[in-house]
Amino acid sequence: MDAASQMKTAPMPRLLRILTLVTALGFAAALFLGLFIAGADSQQGPIQRIFYIHMPAFFGAFTAFGAAVVGGAVYLWRRDERWDKIALAGVEVGLAFALINLVTGAIWARPIWNTWWTWDPRLTSAAIMVLTYAAYLMLRAGIEDPRRQRSLMSVYGIFAFVSVLTTLFIIRIVPETIHPVIVGPSPQNAQGSFEATRGVAMALIPSLIVWTIFMPLTLMWHRCRLENRMEAVKRLKVQALSE
Amino acid sequence: MMRPALALFCALCALWTGGGLLAQEEPTVPYFQSAAFNAPIPTGWQDQSRAGIAQFYQAAAQATIRTRIVPAGDVAGAVEQDLQAWLGSPVDSPVYQGKVNLADGTWRTLVYQIGDDTTASVMARPNESGIIVISFVEAHPTARIIMLTIAQAEGEQDNAQTEMAAALQTFNISGRADLSEPQTLTLPSGEWLLQSHAATAVMGRAVGNDSYIALAEGVIESLPELADAYHSSLLGFYITPDTSAFLWLGLAAVFGILGILLFSFVWRRRGLQKELVLIQALTQEAD
Repeated sequence: MDAASQMKTAPMPRLLRILTLVTALGFAAALFLGLFIAGADSQQGPIQRIFYIHMPAFFGAFTAFGAAVVGGAVYLWRRDERWDKIALAGVEVGLAFALINLVTGAIWARPIWNTWWTWDPRLTSAAIMVLTYAAYLMLRAGIEDPRRQRSLMSVYGIFAFVSVLTTLFIIRIVPETIHPVIVGPSPQNAQGSFEATRGVAMALIPSLIVWTIFMPLTLMWHRCRLENRMEAVKRLKVQALSE
Repeated sequence: MMRPALALFCALCALWTGGGLLAQEEPTVPYFQSAAFNAPIPTGWQDQSRAGIAQFYQAAAQATIRTRIVPAGDVAGAVEQDLQAWLGSPVDSPVYQGKVNLADGTWRTLVYQIGDDTTASVMARPNESGIIVISFVEAHPTARIIMLTIAQAEGEQDNAQTEMAAALQTFNISGRADLSEPQTLTLPSGEWLLQSHAATAVMGRAVGNDSYIALAEGVIESLPELADAYHSSLLGFYITPDTSAFLWLGLAAVFGILGILLFSFVWRRRGLQKELVLIQALTQEAD
């Protein structure tokens, strides 16, 4: 069997198959807990349930962007391409999660704050974070030399994480924010906050675990496999052309 | 495949239970909660609520505070329909009618005399799903207790004295000329003015541009408790907003973004398969 045929029939690793199944079930279970088991918020109505996705999606993005930092740093240290693939996968998956966080936040804000968007410190930093990582993908696509591309994007990925940390901590630093804090006291001007009661925690903790650990890990693994395949096809192309 | 799925299920169950135990208790705000509205439960009152109706009873004054949303067209019709269905006796036209503008809309104030013993003081306003009716009904055989909300006259927003005098006159309360000087009474809902004499009492409290008035003839001892409870019911009542459309929009966005990500994986993989087929064909041709 030649290399191309081998690649076409290469099966998914057993561990990834299990992880994919567990993630899918966990996602469904977390969604079920948030939508049907957690108590309804009498002041916000059903939209409060979006919180069980909104907050975990941010932490999912945090994990994925964190993987991009680790991938980038190890690549710069060892010059092993596999770590660059992890970094790229982290950025792509993290960007999707950060977008989910941003969009669900805007949809929640419409009935609760009476606006889709406001230039609040937390919202602004989240938007900057999304744009920073979108720029990562655009910049990466624009660099042709693979070595230069990997090195430059590793450095970019490490520095871009500042936007993630800023988004995470800004509501605890800047008191003018209207964004509520769920764990710990909300800032004075916070609007639309609610108590982290037993019912909230019961739905939030499983959702956080699924969105922060299982979903980024599974999606990044699939993305890395895709990147491996892309690279192999590129190599085969070069080989076929040289023959 | 079944084993990891079962393990995840057990883990989620454990986390769910553990998370619940670790987290703080639900706040114990005494509220009647239905899908449509929320009404505070007055302390010490007997809870007679049922599906969609918040109803609390105080035995000493034979008083009931009842809140519900009546699916009917006009305010007075909805109030009369509700009182008639609840009390089982015909309800004549109101003996008093007024209007007040509160933060959540314009409310109608209506007072009904039902038979010899029963007086119903009602606040009602329309909303999307019907008419919100908050009633105070007193059925004591030797007492008459009336609750009113009256808009204050321009420039008289300091206290409720003017409205107290007006209410006494409107309902022709006996012994009103002999009432004591106003005293300040501090209740859980705030500071009230109280005037009383023998078996007559009037209480008033100014909030914003409105005065909340309570009148009693006959049994007056429980008037502060009744006034406090009804006032708290009026101010504590709130509607749960129907934001389900936004929840569906949010879920659509979540599935949309995740769908695009997964679809991009599948699409790129398909493209690579096609390229592989092409490479294979080219290699075979070259051979």
